[in-house]
Order: sequence, then structure tokens, then C-alpha cells
Amino acid sequence: MAEVSAGQVARLAVLFERYHRGLFRYFVSMNRDREQAEDLVQEVFFRMLRYRTSYDPAHSFTAWMYQIARNAGVDQVRKRGMAQVVDIDSFALVSGSPGPEESVSRGQDLALLRRAMGQLPEDKREILVLSRFQGMKHEDIAEVLGCEVGTVKVRVYRAIRALEQIYFSLEKEKVS
Amino acid sequence: MITRIGMGMGIATLLATQLCAQDSRQQITMPFRDPSMPRKLIVEGGTGSLTIRGYQGQDAIIEYTGREIPPANNRTNRAGRNEPPAGMHRIGESRGLDITEESNTVRVNNQSLFGGNGRDMVIQVPAQTSVNVKTMFGGNMTIENITGDIEAENFNGQVTINNASGSVVAHSMNGKILVSLDRVTPDKSMSFSTFNGDVDVTLPADTKARFKMRTDFGEIYTDFDVKMEANAAPVVEEVKDKNGKSRRRVRVDGTQSGTINGGGPEMQFTTFNGRILIHKK
Amino acid sequence: MNCEQAKTQMLGENQGDDFAAHLASCDMCRSEASRIGALWQSLDLLPLDEPGGQVRERFYEMLGAYRQGMASAEPRKTRQLGQWGWQIAAAAALIAVGLALGYVVRGNGQPPAEVSQLREEVANMRQLVALSLMQQQSASERLKGVSWSYQVEPSDTEVLNALVTTVNHDPNVNVRLAAVDALRPFTGSPATHLAARNAVVQALPKETAPIVQVALIDFLAELKERNAAPELRRLVSDPDIDSGVRKRAEWALERMQ
Repeated sequence: MAEVSAGQVARLAVLFERYHRGLFRYFVSMNRDREQAEDLVQEVFFRMLRYRTSYDPAHSFTAWMYQIARNAGVDQVRKRGMAQVVDIDSFALVSGSPGPEESVSRGQDLALLRRAMGQLPEDKREILVLSRFQGMKHEDIAEVLGCEVGTVKVRVYRAIRALEQIYFSLEKEKVS
Repeated sequence: MITRIGMGMGIATLLATQLCAQDSRQQITMPFRDPSMPRKLIVEGGTGSLTIRGYQGQDAIIEYTGREIPPANNRTNRAGRNEPPAGMHRIGESRGLDITEESNTVRVNNQSLFGGNGRDMVIQVPAQTSVNVKTMFGGNMTIENITGDIEAENFNGQVTINNASGSVVAHSMNGKILVSLDRVTPDKSMSFSTFNGDVDVTLPADTKARFKMRTDFGEIYTDFDVKMEANAAPVVEEVKDKNGKSRRRVRVDGTQSGTINGGGPEMQFTTFNGRILIHKK
Repeated sequence: MNCEQAKTQMLGENQGDDFAAHLASCDMCRSEASRIGALWQSLDLLPLDEPGGQVRERFYEMLGAYRQGMASAEPRKTRQLGQWGWQIAAAAALIAVGLALGYVVRGNGQPPAEVSQLREEVANMRQLVALSLMQQQSASERLKGVSWSYQVEPSDTEVLNALVTTVNHDPNVNVRLAAVDALRPFTGSPATHLAARNAVVQALPKETAPIVQVALIDFLAELKERNAAPELRRLVSDPDIDSGVRKRAEWALERMQ
């Protein structure tokens, strides 16, 4: 990233190759449909290009990138003037058509897990996505969310507990 | 159920768990321990058959059977090794088999010793794992129910890939390539090649792709509606294959290119001595 | 360590001895750790979503436009490449056909830009994609990089070098095979044709996979590259080489007479 700060804008291309998929998945899991997620990916890279001088090489790059990502997401919601419609039955991290792992015998758990993720409140889902799927370190998440590292650990724990409760209540629903 | 035990972050080596030692079938479980990295399975070497299967669990489970000559008597077998003394079975790691895990990649290295016995192997991994397999002198290779990216290379044997959802790059020097994809990830390039054998690939009917097809001695059949690109003028004819099913046959020299459903990432089908069959699912 | 503290460590990276000690003595925490640990692990089993094919093109379009200093570098919100993208694509196509176009009108109505600047932008974009993809860990991405190389100018020595490296050193047979074919356009350009031909000659003795050997031999025959004759003769007489390959080498030698 320091190279980009020095004006070699083209290096952004390498960063694109490395990070754009992760960013896409982040947006898609935060209730954006695929089109919006793709648009947001573009927006994030554009902003990183435009505001590249604001990046401090002493800090984590992914934290900076995700701060930009969250802001871009918020701006999009503002622009649209309404809350995102949440489809609680499908957690958007998975693509629309059922994959092979969803065979009758084994797939029920994963489908349930997906639904449970979709039913999580947005802030809990976000922290799970950042820590579990993006594999971000707690320090970086703290920077992105603007809180203490200790708080991150607690929030991750609370998020997974909430997920567990939703998951098990969904499971009970199925049986009854 | 996974419980976290305090293992150091170094390279975990082989944890041998002996099962039925009498029929020389062994099973080893290797966990993926770094969830911040994508899962990967690398398999190298081997002289037996290899099956890799996606399953709904967390670890890599490696099961292998040594092809030992049954101990009818106490004579040494052809490899010069001694048969176990009557009533006894061997304990401990087999020579030439190395299983390690590092940074969420499980590596199975199966360099059977020169003159050693073949090993048939069955490896189960979570479905969302990238699989990279390269075997020499191997038997048949089968990979099923994997949603990660697959790279498979076999030397003397078929490569069969079923229920794949990620990208597939497959090759055999001497053997058929048989691939069935449940889902084609947009934007991923794929390649299927063999020197001696058919390339037989099944894709979902709505796949968007650009085909590049080449066979030196053989025909190309498909039931897709392929919009051919005008390099050398291909001859497209309707023929009935041996099952009486109607197929379009493309006949010409050199590499043929064409698109389906408006075009998309490239898929290459190459064989020297064999047919190319591209099925619609 | 008490239960409250233990809970926050359950999904942590460095759990430590205190944590292990607490788990050993606390049934509730132990069972909770194992339950949420399992749930945590199983999240990984959810399949990952992939962005669509246009994302990369849109990005490079934006990058190129930004470097050009265009006001209309703002990312496109639409599925189509938009007016600007159309102009870039059109200019690239026209350049490829060898036509000289005087001007391209910019979106904001200012004086038109020179085609040569545009040409450089387009070329740089595509070169970047090809180069970066060819270095990726996955064979599928390297394949994609090789197919992107068809989009660069045939005079692009950086991409040619990357292709040659791929032909000589890529661990994957399919990628090497694709890279051999991708060298063809470079044999047509005065800047690179010698390097390209030489690359094919040098690659043949190193290649061991018959399917790639045949592709190299065919290429050499097409080029009527006499420098390859000694290696071809060696292949014909080597009993360890597959008979199909040997026959093809023989045929190639005949074609070169």
C-alpha cells in the first residue's frame, strides 16, 4: 500500500486481485444482493485510490480497507433512503442454487446454519463475518469498528452464542 | 466435534491411529488448524488408487490400504521385505508416507519406495477445500463432492471428478478424463486434457463459456449449441452416436473455438488420441 | 480465570494455560467451548460466493480512466460498461485493427484526448491483469492470466517473458499447454518474434509431458524453425519418448525440409 501512497497507482491492481473476492463476500453477507455488492467493491477500490494518501503504512491495510468498505456501505444505504430488505431465509454468503453438499442426508444442517446467519442482527453478523470469514485479527477488527480489542473478543463470543441459540431454535422448529 | 487442544503452531506430523492392523488398513485424522486461511489438500505420489471425497466434517481423514501380498507363508515377498512373523502385525508408520499440516494445508506425500507396495487411499475432507493432486504411476483417481478448486494430475490412470462446484484443471498422460460439474463458478477458467483417452465433461445447461477444443485423433461431440468461431472452417454435422442419441459432431484440424450461452471464461478440452464429449446437464 | 474471562477466550487464537486449566475444572465452560467451537468450525463449511465476470473489467476500466485524469472515472453503477467503457473498448478494437483514430470524445465534453494516451492506458491495464494473474497460486487463475495475454499488444515483452517463464516452469501441465498456444501472437510482431521463436525451441528439450511436447513440435513445424531440428532428431531416436510424440517429431522434420 505504501507504493500506492507514493503515486504508483497501478499497484492497486495487485491489491485488487488479492482482495476483491473477500470484499465481495463481505458485502454480500451484509444483506447486499450480488449487484449491489459488486458495485460496492468498485466503490471501495475507487475510494482507496482516491484517498490513498490518507493511508498510514504503520497501520493494518485490511483495517483501513474495511473501514472504507463500511463507510461505502452506509453511504449506499443513505443514498437509497431506506433500510436494506433482509431476506431472513437465505444468508447471502451462499449462492442461489443449492450446492452438492445440500443432499438430503447431510445438507439440512448447512441450510439451517445459513438461515440462522441470516436471522442474526446485522452487527453480530458483521463481527462474525470479519473474524471468521475474512479471518481478520482482533486488533484490526477493533480498528475497523472503533472499539477496544477486549470488546471485540466479547462481541465475537456474544455473536456466536446468539447464532447458536437461533440455530437450535430453528432446529427445534423443524422437528416439531 | 472439535475440541481445541493446546497444540503449538508448528507443523503437526503424523498421528498414527491403528485400526484393523490385520487387514493392513490404516486411518489417520489430521485437523485443519488455521481457520484464517482457506483449506487446502495436497496429495503427491502414490501407486494405488486414490479417492478424495468431500464430507460434512472438519478434518482430513486419510485411510489407506497397503497392497501387501497375503502372508501365506514366511517367504519374503518380491520387494524383498519380510512377512510379519506368524500371528503378529506391524505397528508404526509405513515407510514413504508423510502427512503434515501447516497454515491450514494438509499435505499427503506418498512416495512409495522404489519396488515398494502400492497404496490405495481414500481421503475425506470438508467439501469447501481446494484439492491439488499429482500422482505418478498411479491407478485411477476419483474426486467427488468438492466445492473448492480442483487441480488433478494423473500419470497412468483415469481422472474422474463428480459433483464438482469449483474450478477444475485436470490432466492424465494415459487415461480418460471424466468430469461432471454441478455448478460453474462464473469467471473461472478450466482445462481438461489427456494424451491417450477421451475427455468427457458434463456441464450445467446454462453455463456460459468459451470452448477451445482439440483432438489429434478423434472426434468432438456435444449436445450444447456451440457458436463456432471462424478460424478454420469447421464441418458441423448431426450424427447418431452408438446409443442412438443425436449429437453434433465437429470435424476439422487444429484447435476449434466456440461459445455457449453468449460466452464466458475459457474451457480447454485437449486430447491427442481420443474423443471429446461435452454434455449438457 | 473465571467463567466470564474463559468465555471470551473460547474462540481466541492464543488460549493459554489458564484457559486450559479453567476448562479442566469447569464442566459448563468445557461443554460450552466444545459446542461453540464446533459451530465456529462448521461456519467454514458454508460455500463461498463468487463475484461475477465483469468485476475485474470494471475495475481496470476505472483504474485506466483514473490514471488518465478523467473526471468520469467514477465507478459505473450499471451492469453494462457504460459510455466510457464502450469508448475504451471501441478504441482498443480500432487500435487492434490498425486504424488510426484522431480523437475520442470524453464524457464531460472537453477537448478530445489523443488515442496514443488511451492506447497506453488500455495496454497497461491489460498487461497488469495478465501479469498479476499469471503469478497466482491457483492453476485456474494462471490459466486465466494466460488467456488475458491474448488481449495485450504482441509487442509486449513483459507479458511474453511471463509466458515463457510459464511454459518453462509452471508446475501444471494444462497451464504450460495453454501458455505454448498463447505464444503464437508474439511470433507475428517484429519486436518479439525472435524471442518467441527461441522460447519454443528452448522449451522442447525441457518438456516431459507428451501433450505439451506435441504442441511445441506442431508450433515449431508451423514456424519452420530449423534451429529445433537437432532436438527433433533426438526425440525421434529416443526410445523412452512416447511413440505418438516421436511420429510427430518425424513429421515436423519432414515439413521443415
